[in-house]
Amino acid sequence: MKKKKCLSQILVASLIMSMALTGCGGARQAESSAAPAAESAASVASAPAASGAAGFAADSTIGVALPWLGTQNWKEADEMFRTQLAAAGFKAIVQHADNKVPQQQQQIESMIQNGAKVIVVGPVDGSQLGSVLEEAKAANITVIGYDRLIENTTGIDGVVQFGSVKTGELQGQALLDGLAAKKGKGPYNIELFGGGPADPNAPNFFKGAMTVLQPKIDDGTLVVVSGQKDFTQCATLDWDNSKAQARMDSLLSGFYSKKEIDGVLSPNDGIARAIITASEQAGQKIPVVSGLDAENESVEWIWSGKQYSTVAKPTDLLVGKTIEIIKSLQAGSGMPAPTTKVNNGKTDVGVYELAPLVVTKENAKEVFAKDAGRLALLK
Amino acid sequence: MERPLILQMQGITKLFPGVRALDDVTLEVRQGDIHAICGENGAGKSTLMNVLSGVYPHGSYEGKIIYMGNEIAFRDIKESERAGIAIIHQELTMIPELSITENIFLGNETVNHGLIDWDTERRRTAELLERVGLTIDPGTLIKHLGVGQQQLVEIAKALSKNVRLLILDEPTSALNETDSANLFELMRGLKSRDITCIMISHKLNEIAEIADAVTVIRDGRTVENFHVKEGQIDEDCIIRAMVGRSIENRYPSHESNPGEVIFEVSDWRVEDPDIPGRLICKDSNFFVRAGEIVGFAGLMGAGRTELMRSIFGRNYGIYLGGSIKIKGKEIRVASVSSAIRQGIAYVPEDRKNLGLNLIDTIRITTVSANLKAILRGRLLDLDKEFQVAEQQRSSLNVKTNSVNSGVSTLSGGNQQKVVLGKWMFTEPEVLILDEPTRGIDVGAKYEIYRLIQKLADQGKAVIIVSSELPELLGISDRIYTVFEGSITGVLNRQEANQEKLMRMMTNTSKLDSNSERTEMLYEIS
Amino acid sequence: MRYLKKVLGGGLRQYSMVIALVALTLIFNITSGGRMITSSNFQNLISGNAYVLVLAIGMLMVIVIGQIDLSVGSVAGFSGMVMALAARDLGWPWWLAVLLSLAIGAAAGAWQGFWLSRFGIPGFITTLGGMMIFRGGVIWISKSISVPAPTELKVFGSGYLPEWGPAFTGMNNSTLLLGILAIAAFAFTQLRRRKRSAALTGKTEELWPVVVRIILVAVVIGYITWIFGTGRTGTSFPIPGLILVVLVIIYNTITQRTRFGRHVYAVGGNKTSAALSGVNVQKTYFLTMLNMSLLAALAGIMFVGRSTAAGPSDGTGWEMDAIASVFIGGAAVSGGVGTITATMVGGLVMAVLNSGLMLMGVGADRTQVIKGFVLLAAVAFDVFNKQQGRASIIGRLFPAKEGKPQEANPASSDS
Repeated sequence: MKKKKCLSQILVASLIMSMALTGCGGARQAESSAAPAAESAASVASAPAASGAAGFAADSTIGVALPWLGTQNWKEADEMFRTQLAAAGFKAIVQHADNKVPQQQQQIESMIQNGAKVIVVGPVDGSQLGSVLEEAKAANITVIGYDRLIENTTGIDGVVQFGSVKTGELQGQALLDGLAAKKGKGPYNIELFGGGPADPNAPNFFKGAMTVLQPKIDDGTLVVVSGQKDFTQCATLDWDNSKAQARMDSLLSGFYSKKEIDGVLSPNDGIARAIITASEQAGQKIPVVSGLDAENESVEWIWSGKQYSTVAKPTDLLVGKTIEIIKSLQAGSGMPAPTTKVNNGKTDVGVYELAPLVVTKENAKEVFAKDAGRLALLK
Repeated sequence: MERPLILQMQGITKLFPGVRALDDVTLEVRQGDIHAICGENGAGKSTLMNVLSGVYPHGSYEGKIIYMGNEIAFRDIKESERAGIAIIHQELTMIPELSITENIFLGNETVNHGLIDWDTERRRTAELLERVGLTIDPGTLIKHLGVGQQQLVEIAKALSKNVRLLILDEPTSALNETDSANLFELMRGLKSRDITCIMISHKLNEIAEIADAVTVIRDGRTVENFHVKEGQIDEDCIIRAMVGRSIENRYPSHESNPGEVIFEVSDWRVEDPDIPGRLICKDSNFFVRAGEIVGFAGLMGAGRTELMRSIFGRNYGIYLGGSIKIKGKEIRVASVSSAIRQGIAYVPEDRKNLGLNLIDTIRITTVSANLKAILRGRLLDLDKEFQVAEQQRSSLNVKTNSVNSGVSTLSGGNQQKVVLGKWMFTEPEVLILDEPTRGIDVGAKYEIYRLIQKLADQGKAVIIVSSELPELLGISDRIYTVFEGSITGVLNRQEANQEKLMRMMTNTSKLDSNSERTEMLYEIS
Repeated sequence: MRYLKKVLGGGLRQYSMVIALVALTLIFNITSGGRMITSSNFQNLISGNAYVLVLAIGMLMVIVIGQIDLSVGSVAGFSGMVMALAARDLGWPWWLAVLLSLAIGAAAGAWQGFWLSRFGIPGFITTLGGMMIFRGGVIWISKSISVPAPTELKVFGSGYLPEWGPAFTGMNNSTLLLGILAIAAFAFTQLRRRKRSAALTGKTEELWPVVVRIILVAVVIGYITWIFGTGRTGTSFPIPGLILVVLVIIYNTITQRTRFGRHVYAVGGNKTSAALSGVNVQKTYFLTMLNMSLLAALAGIMFVGRSTAAGPSDGTGWEMDAIASVFIGGAAVSGGVGTITATMVGGLVMAVLNSGLMLMGVGADRTQVIKGFVLLAAVAFDVFNKQQGRASIIGRLFPAKEGKPQEANPASSDS
């Protein structure tokens, strides 16, 4: 009986509360519902870059939606955004979506709810955020793509990323250099790996690399023994290392039982390590493998000579550039001029490109001169 | 030469809540005998054996057990096994996916340095199998064995534990003639090795064939002890002992007015779904008149239920042949729903597992076999449902405060009334009731008999399947007897008595001739 | 206390999960600084979870028949992808692509139902197979790349009802109309039920509790209507929410008021007894599995509409969300028990939990942990109640199946 009474009190209390909320919520809603309506009408007309022209308070909320924390670069980004946004006086909401699209959609919605002025999005799938980002646009929020292009929506104001085609070119060139340095004279037996197809950067990496590699394949210097040269054949779903390793295993057992593999194009470090591990297990000499992201473990592997190269896309540069844009928006100076523009299927998006760096054992100390964490690995 | 007593059970009394299952039972078994225990279903035979084997631990019953000269007090079945008592249940308990060796040594593995010593186990299994007369590979999986062979393996398992006293609970109920003969042969062999057997059985012909002594139990009491060697077993004597109670005034008097034959089953043949080749209905023929209550008597496992369920939309078994006529018209019933549509209703024997969905309320149960009757358009008319349930509740006198209560809250008798109501709502021509009063108290039984009679008075054909002979004698107009899938005879109420029925149910020699049986059938029709 | 009971038309226990839902919403509203109970968040809550709730409708029926469907996420992803591809590569109009997608869903369900009903292969196995088949299929046909969907579909995933009529109402008039309709429908059914039960039982229920009940529910619906209706101009009660409400009404009627619905419960409660009552168990299995995949296809379409593109990993893990909703809603693992409306409450509890934790800035990792505990607690609570020999609390949330009043779900009660 006592329990029941307690329950009934809760119920009554909740009813009263909901009535009270009806009252006070009413006033708030009434004024706020009129204002954005006018504004949103205005924002449709104005260019996206100009939407934040009025600036906003220095302690405003900034949302950062990251795809997951499964690789080092995202983990670093997560920490850097937290500390640097806080240092700049903003209130930061940094969330990751466990690589699930619906989760990220809801997180972005909750950032809109939380009154974020700018939302930085590292998308799980660059083309599946359309309606959510349009909601953000309607709420007058500036959306900045981080590291990956966001496609298929008008609700995007700019993208900060390393030039992805350029990155690919660097990877391809590093592979060629490595083969020449380590494997004597050609022809070389190589295999190609691509990144996650849902990430719009992945095909670009591949494209960039192939601009360097294709002429050498055509003139016979490079031989893709498996014959798998299309991006869709080489792609690694969800950038999943284990899938790459499985593919490498089957390539080695299927095509290299009597041959030696000399080099592998790898789109990132995790996949590079998977490839190297598979090769070791198959009893092959370690091939020349490219990489990306300069993850700690790969930096060590490069230092010890297991992995030939990686491409550093220093997360601090990316985060720094993003925060620079946010500060510019806060000050009311709008989006800075982009490096270039690309079409995302719906609209032209300003791209702020940063230049990546190739890292090999030779130049590692110079590249990481300022990065104490990675420098410590070079022993 | 008087052999020594191996077992004396004295004054065994076992109480279950509300029931005195065993009442001062005495049993004396001599070493090396084959001792038969017989009695009606529910007389207390299995309870007695469970007391003996320690399933009911010492202290949960009263009385004294003296085994091989010592008073014993088993706390569980393990202790009785250690003392050399093994019980082989009616349902075999071996694991089908394991081999004979693994089953025989299950829980009793021969271990050498923590590993199973397969060689020893296999060698010993082969020896044991030889002793029970089986010549098969000890590595054979149990599921590949026939029932008879499985039973022999069970016995081999008992022998592996150095059994002195072997209890067999209705050992031949699942066996064919050859297997039964093998089993008896083995039992005689065991006897020559001085191993005592207690066999629970209804089958008088078997008892006559093999038993050295017989104890009859009825209503939880020892009624009679016979010794075969002191004169031939008198089957009449056993039958009288098994049933020997007068039919009290527990049945409402009723005057039936049977009309035309409205339900007729001819040459009904059905195969057992689990054992290919075994027929569970062997060319059965029977009929029921309008307004007539017809009983089906038979011991458990005789195939009564299987017959009824196969008629009810081929719900059981594999249909091989035969026809059903209702009101002279042959009907095809390939599914339960078509059987219901054509006017057959079947109230299953196991109320809780087959008759009811215990999650449901009374009102949902009441309409569940005839939802069509409460449709309005395509939707169920819940008001009508309520009305129907209310109406059935009051006419059947179901004791509950609301038709919205769950059926699980009702007593057995009231549950059965709800089930009856459910089937009456399908407005059947033929109502088959399988054990309609099992587990129901005397008062509720009386009400259910009245209901059954009322249905007959409405001109319905009613079939009652029951293991209780007094019940059948008390309420049916005519009684068929079933033995091993065959209808062995039919008796009018006036000429029937328990002894005659029991003889037909157990297929004893005196009523075996075919001519006599057919003669009886004609006589009545 | 006694009066309250009269108003609610039964024990308070029946409403424990609804109370939990309300309490959770209020608590989150406080902890998130008033960001929980806002127009836009409620709209998000509905559009962001409608597809899971649509799945949960089908899953409830599957679980009631004593089976489980692990393939719903994959089927949703697959049929969504087929739709997007048909529209983009074959140039089909969007509605034809939608119909194709639904047909694919139905075919997938028929496939799984066939193995279950014809060969008795447990649903767990057939749908585990389906999960792999259709997940592989979606990756295969999409070549692992997201495919943009026809823009018209956005309406199904995140669209809003039109604005019309006078401005003085201060809110979206479509939403207002829906609210008024819901209140009217509730009042009508309540009054009619009172009249009917008087005619049936001869006992007239007092009028005042009915009136109080109607007023209370009207206030609640009115408040919810007001929240949904007063968002940004151009927003309203979301269209995916409307689709959901319509489905809930339809399926509540199917499960509670049709022969098929009765058969579903009968088969789940006691298969043998159902077969002996003339229920075609195989057919019931088949149709329930078919229906599940059909709804999965619909959920896939709604999600693609919201995402504006179909992706290769769409639907991953959705089956678990749907299953969790059903069990939080008090369905029994052994089958036979559960209602659509209670399942919806279960799903909303999960949704509110998700949304509230996100608003508080709790990460996906910890959210997952908390949701896991809530699921366990809800089911343990239910099991505990049953073991005490009392009737299950959560299962009796909405006693519609037992023929008692259904007032707790105004929008979907029969009319």
